[in-house]
Amino acid sequence: MLMTLAVPSAIVCAYSLLSRGAYGGVERPWTLENFRLLADPMYLRIFFRSLWMAAAAAVLCIGLAFPLALFIARSGRRKNLYLSLVILPFWTSFLIRIYAWMFLLRDTGLINTVLRAAGLIRQPLPLLYNDGAVLLGLVYGFLPFAVLPLYATLERLDPTLLEAAADLGAKPLEALFRVTVPLCAPGIRAAAILIFVPCLGTYLASDLLGGSKTILIGNVIQNQFTAARDWPFGAALSVVLMMIALALMWAARRQGEELV
Amino acid sequence: MNRRVFLLGAAAAAACGKTKPRLNVYNWSDYAAPDTIPNFERESGLRVRYGTYESAPEMLAKVMTGNSGWDVVFPAAEIVPPMIEMGLLQKLDHSRLPHLNVFEGIFRNPPWDPRLEYTIPYLDGTTGILYRRGIAPEPGSWADLWDARLRGKMTMLDDPPEVFAACLKRLGDSINSGDPDQLRAAARLALAQKPLLRAYLNAEVRDQVIAGDVWAAQAWAVTAGQAIAAAPDRLAYCLPREGFARYCDTAAILRESRRAEEAHRFLDYLLRPEVGASIAQAAQTATPNAAARRLLPAKVRENPVLYPGEEALARGEWFAAQTAASQKLRDRLWTQIKSA
Repeated sequence: MLMTLAVPSAIVCAYSLLSRGAYGGVERPWTLENFRLLADPMYLRIFFRSLWMAAAAAVLCIGLAFPLALFIARSGRRKNLYLSLVILPFWTSFLIRIYAWMFLLRDTGLINTVLRAAGLIRQPLPLLYNDGAVLLGLVYGFLPFAVLPLYATLERLDPTLLEAAADLGAKPLEALFRVTVPLCAPGIRAAAILIFVPCLGTYLASDLLGGSKTILIGNVIQNQFTAARDWPFGAALSVVLMMIALALMWAARRQGEELV
Repeated sequence: MNRRVFLLGAAAAAACGKTKPRLNVYNWSDYAAPDTIPNFERESGLRVRYGTYESAPEMLAKVMTGNSGWDVVFPAAEIVPPMIEMGLLQKLDHSRLPHLNVFEGIFRNPPWDPRLEYTIPYLDGTTGILYRRGIAPEPGSWADLWDARLRGKMTMLDDPPEVFAACLKRLGDSINSGDPDQLRAAARLALAQKPLLRAYLNAEVRDQVIAGDVWAAQAWAVTAGQAIAAAPDRLAYCLPREGFARYCDTAAILRESRRAEEAHRFLDYLLRPEVGASIAQAAQTATPNAAARRLLPAKVRENPVLYPGEEALARGEWFAAQTAASQKLRDRLWTQIKSA
């Protein structure tokens, strides 16, 4: 725990307070300059955009995963089969699956070709290289992270509670929103954190599905360690990102304790 | 693998390690022919540990530690002067490189390392415009990539020095400009162009140009050559009127290397015309090695995408290293362009 978590984080924090080496790396003197640069509204806008994208991805993932998890939890003996199907995509790398999406979404890709052949459209739909495509990539990539914790809580849910709700006159949909969903709050919270935090730092989806036309904070950080060769500034951006993630997790935990 | 087989293998490896001296070669990925290294191992009796990298900063970050464990690296021309200045490279002993006479013209005396004291040119290329024949306007200059008629059908490279190079050339400035006003003007041009672009793509643009999703793309000659080979009657490549960027990767021996003799032997092997020719064919880019070029099939040797001729190349400009201040400004402007 100390070696794998504390030491690298400490190094990132230390780097963020150093100066840029001319060709990568860090040099003395110690400085707060890297954090001062962050006050630029340009970086704040990128942070907000990234927060927004991550939040949207988390909400969409949970919205899609909930019915799926409910279905799996109630499907009896087939549960294990369905669960393995959810995990199946992890057998290939995320990068390769993103490339597969690019082939589907391209102007001359499968979706546009089929729609055109069916006579539904004349011009190809601009499916690739926009925010929608980036969001699609994020939701697709992180959906299993929502299904698994939701399934875990739904599976443990006492079915007699729903019977009781029905006895007391609740229609199925009413029982779902007034009994099942509130009881799933811990699972929803876990899913939200599991998706939101990694989405904040992601850069693959915006690079490949967004055509690099928009950037998220993950792209800015990656760029500091490659083309820009400004490690201290990249480290400072990472520190701020870690702070945001920690603050959100702390808030989620506190809220969870209040409910209990 | 059971334990006995493993032990046998380990013993064999240890035995090899003792008898065969080792050379550590760190190259760009896809930058050698499949038989380049095995052939060298066979004839020299050396064992080669061959590693690859995807970007110059990745290599530089490792090598700057001074005990990276590599002997031979392949720096891009623009980082050769800073690497010499930082004392990372070893002076070449020309008496151990009998094949050094394969170079002609600029490559005998390149601006990044006159007299080839530290590096030998390895592979080179240009950045131009890959386009679909018959489109309007038919690209001949960078300015054509700002034409609204090609809206949504154009891409630029996802590489800050390349995008700045195109914008700076359009303004009549040097691709290596560090002047803040010139850089800001270039960034304004890039911002004006962005709404017209489909995306910023590097090598992956190749398939989209072939498929017809993209009609005009800022592209490296190697990408263009591959695309045109797939659809020769539909696609073309031009070196823009205003001027363009040239790049060259070199081979060098690190100062930390204690295998100078073996490393020189390897560099001389790379210089051999038949070896250079097979590398150039595998990497599908141009070779600065004139003797190697003469061995290539006529179709490759005369391919104007890779070898556009002295007159066109005169408009080219080599990338050079940026000062810290210029690099910082360029990065801020790049983030501004990308986040707009």
